[in-house]
Amino acid sequence: MTELLQRMIRKPQGVIGLTLLVALAILCLLGPWLAPYGPEKMDFLGRFRAPGWQNWLGADQFGRDVLSRLLSGARATVPMALAATLAGSAIGAVIGIGSAYLGGKSDEAIMRTNDAVMAIPGLLMALLLVSTLGNGAGNAVVAIALAFAPGMARVTRSVALAVRNQDYVKAAVARGEAAAHVIFREMLPNVMGPIIIEATIRVSFAVMLFATLSFLGLGAQPPASEWGLMVADARQYMHRAPWILIAPSAAIALSAIAFNLVGDALRDALNPRDDR
Amino acid sequence: MSFAWLLRRLLLMIYTVAIVCVLVFAITQALPADAAQTLLGENASPEALAAVRTRLGLDDPVWLQFVHWVARAVSGNFGVSMRTGLPVAPEMLTALSRSLLLAAGSLALTLLVAVPMGMFAALRQGRVADTATSVIAYLGVSLPEFVTATVLALLLTDIVPWLPATGYVSPLENIGLALRHLALPVLTVSVILVAHVMRMMRSETLDVLQSDYVRAARLKGLPERTVLVRHVMGNALLPVITIVALDVGYLLGGIIVIEEIFAIPGIGRALMIAITTRDLPSIQAGAMIMATTYAITNTLADVVYALLDRRIRYD
Amino acid sequence: MRAALTIDNYGLDYLTASGVVPVLRDVSLAIAPGEVLGLVGESGSGKSSLAWALMRHLPANAREISGSLQLGDIDLQSLTAKQLTAVRGRRIGMVFQDPSTALNPTLTIGRQITEALMRHRDLNARDAKALAIELLGHVELRDPAAVLRRYPHEISGGEKQRVIIATAFGCRPDVILFDEPTTALDVITGARIIDLFARLRAETGVAALYISHDLAMMTRVADRVAVIRHGRIVEQAKASEIFSRPQHDYTRSLIAAVPRPERRLVHDIPGTDVLLQARGIEVQYGRAGLFRAAPPPATKAVDIDIRAGEIVGVVGESGSGKSSIARALTGLARFSGAISFDGGTLRGAGDMGAGYRRDVQIVFQHPDSSLNPRHRIGEILSRPLKLYGGDTAAVPRLLEQVRLPASYATRWPHQLSGGEKQRVAIARAFAARPRLVICDEITAPLDVSVQAQIIDLLLALRAETGAAYLFITHDLNLIRQIAHRIVVMRHGQLVDSRAIDAFGTDDVHPYTRELMAASPAPVG
Repeated sequence: MTELLQRMIRKPQGVIGLTLLVALAILCLLGPWLAPYGPEKMDFLGRFRAPGWQNWLGADQFGRDVLSRLLSGARATVPMALAATLAGSAIGAVIGIGSAYLGGKSDEAIMRTNDAVMAIPGLLMALLLVSTLGNGAGNAVVAIALAFAPGMARVTRSVALAVRNQDYVKAAVARGEAAAHVIFREMLPNVMGPIIIEATIRVSFAVMLFATLSFLGLGAQPPASEWGLMVADARQYMHRAPWILIAPSAAIALSAIAFNLVGDALRDALNPRDDR
Repeated sequence: MSFAWLLRRLLLMIYTVAIVCVLVFAITQALPADAAQTLLGENASPEALAAVRTRLGLDDPVWLQFVHWVARAVSGNFGVSMRTGLPVAPEMLTALSRSLLLAAGSLALTLLVAVPMGMFAALRQGRVADTATSVIAYLGVSLPEFVTATVLALLLTDIVPWLPATGYVSPLENIGLALRHLALPVLTVSVILVAHVMRMMRSETLDVLQSDYVRAARLKGLPERTVLVRHVMGNALLPVITIVALDVGYLLGGIIVIEEIFAIPGIGRALMIAITTRDLPSIQAGAMIMATTYAITNTLADVVYALLDRRIRYD
Repeated sequence: MRAALTIDNYGLDYLTASGVVPVLRDVSLAIAPGEVLGLVGESGSGKSSLAWALMRHLPANAREISGSLQLGDIDLQSLTAKQLTAVRGRRIGMVFQDPSTALNPTLTIGRQITEALMRHRDLNARDAKALAIELLGHVELRDPAAVLRRYPHEISGGEKQRVIIATAFGCRPDVILFDEPTTALDVITGARIIDLFARLRAETGVAALYISHDLAMMTRVADRVAVIRHGRIVEQAKASEIFSRPQHDYTRSLIAAVPRPERRLVHDIPGTDVLLQARGIEVQYGRAGLFRAAPPPATKAVDIDIRAGEIVGVVGESGSGKSSIARALTGLARFSGAISFDGGTLRGAGDMGAGYRRDVQIVFQHPDSSLNPRHRIGEILSRPLKLYGGDTAAVPRLLEQVRLPASYATRWPHQLSGGEKQRVAIARAFAARPRLVICDEITAPLDVSVQAQIIDLLLALRAETGAAYLFITHDLNLIRQIAHRIVVMRHGQLVDSRAIDAFGTDDVHPYTRELMAASPAPVG
């Protein structure tokens, strides 16, 4: 594990990504306590206050401190995205590995159907599901998980197939090892790597998708300080007080970038074993 | 490419559309325990609920509903909008045409910019130009569409005040005004797409540049320009088709947000309105049209690719 | 007369993440006009780097630290990029190792030849095409005009290499570099390419630097041979003398490692009890998909007998089905037919019980993929012990048995070399105390000296345990040193089966004869 981290911080992308990730983690865990003001605290005298010593990132249309809202909103955005990705990856992994294991006609049929499901673009799928399940952050998480599942199924399947064709798996089968051993001890450790990389990058999509759903009014509901919601609110005051818009936008972007960078750094770190 | 392959590819497309049918129907009509309740909300009166149920045929068993729905859909009848009372299909198709205009403009602009930029970045690998473009591309991919749209709108309407921030004018009415209204949305979508396509073009071009056959061409003593034009470009451009096909799917999703922000009456906006007003027939029609467009685009891309790539046997 | 190519005291380094790696040191070679110099070295010797240095195509992290490279009167290192494009192809040409990747897949063969001819022979398109047809006919391609219109994937590996050779010769350079041109080809195809090279070279009088790892083949191809090791030239001599009078120890060890059919390493005769009898084995890969029919079987009704303690060789080119037999016998591929073992009959993988799986073990070809990269060596070796009821404390003894230090048990596979990984794979097979070990081309990816060590190890293990081997290979000379009986496969069929002393008789199958001719013993 430490060797992995060491490899990751060799390149600048890895350093930046990991730093951002750690910062995000701190925000999610300790955000509300780090905030100078309460996120709901209105101050009608300080409406639209520009960034300064009183409000480091400025104040919004109700005088609420943008920084505080941002810090509290971290746990409304990032953990949801993580949960959605985890759930979607789990479902996708089951489908993908199962399909790879079955092989032949079943595999082909499952994959064709899987691809057909992917004909519905991710956002559209999430919207359809939310419209059925009802608005709200929890339903948005479910919707995103289901929207991600087919894509993860595809990735898992191709990784599983590649691993299954390796000689060490064949050696285990030829030895007469039980199927459980082959799948869990021989295949899984080698399958996990690429899947974790893919999932990490997907979290960034989940962050963006979740924020988009909230922006459209279908995800988190006011007065939550979810970042997508903050952007939606800020649009009408865009010319008057751009900081209300820029702060949450930057936060979303940085979160997505963090997971993207970490995913890429993981991929680089797990790949070349010799330095040439 | 044989006829048999073409036939199989078309069958696959039909299968895809069929699955989408099932999925859309299931999510919007079959799953909700009481679709009528979902549509009318909690405070609906029993009479209103019953009226909706009869109108939508919700009392029939699910499979029968599905059969009716498909039978009507195939003949182009997606029912009548619960909001406006007008037939859904013609509305949606008109909306689609507007979206296609936006999509086509964006794709054209994207390809014009991203393909050369991606190849250029690969040629200048490791140098400043490459790193700069990579960083910009990274940012573009890490920003949700609504953020990009909003920030761009903020910046550009300040700098160029005569660009309208929202609204739509049909090119059939006034081409000049239409273009001005489309400028900002097309630019926004293009910015996002360029980030995607450029990254992929760069990596494809790098693969080609590092290939054995480009090395062999160089070592044959061919001048660098010949190597680039004849050997590199031919191979690097082929994947563009695949990339574009992938991005159409992404585009279709993003269009929902873009049309919402810029108030363009395309299919994305129509879907959003349908969803927020719980107009079931419109939701179904909109989703079907979007997914079918994607399926058709993918099939077209596969066919074009098969025509162009000589390596793969298609039989 | 001025030498066609002079390399004087040349030194080259690569700068890597783990420091400076010396690649070539004090290399001095000269090739006279019309002469063929063979450069022989194992992997990592730097021989290919010398070729890239001559073509001025070194990677960005290369640093030339000394010496000069002269092509006739041209100082190669002083050429500008523009001057280089005039020299490459025209004065110095190159034939590459892998013909399937050296041709642009989206351009026709014709285009790729004529562009070189037009550039270097100053011809217009029509004349270049005519010359291309003539050249392709000269390299024995049938219907050259049709070949010109084809794309690379539509012709075979051997044909592609002929196209590349024709292009290189067609530009009439002073020197052509050949970088292991037959390594990626089958034995018989490769032998034909070598014959073609000999003919063309006699006709055109071109000088050549011929790089290979195969010392035996080199003595037939080159006038002089230079041996390179760890970036240094250790010996140079005439081809006819280097085998009979090697001066340097390394050359001697290379020569000793070269397989020679007349030098038997196994002297006993196996008993008569049949250990395993396979009848009518047809191996089936791939199932029918939704739209595709199932592919044809990989082998057609193959029969093989293996006696206790016997070494049976299976020889064939790629696609002959030899590896498929291995997979069928270990239950890794579906097959029809019957295997008789220990009194029982097995008709599929499902019939193979724990006893069979213990007694029949397999070692795979690629050391990189046969050991799970996420398991340490100790765990890899203790698995079969746990499975077959051995004692996991026996791991150090297993390692010693394959001549590896016991401390390797805590290492990861990527920390071992290719030869060491193969030893671990062999130890894993022998952990079960098998009666039959199937070796599926296990020495193919290894250097010849490492190969000799592995063979030595296998014979020692056989002497200890009395195991029988089914040894699959494409190297006929190698198997003739150790096998009691050899079967020859071609296109999925078993075409010949003979005892080891029956190779000189008249009833040898024509294909076997071709294989023998293509695997010559070295000169000297």
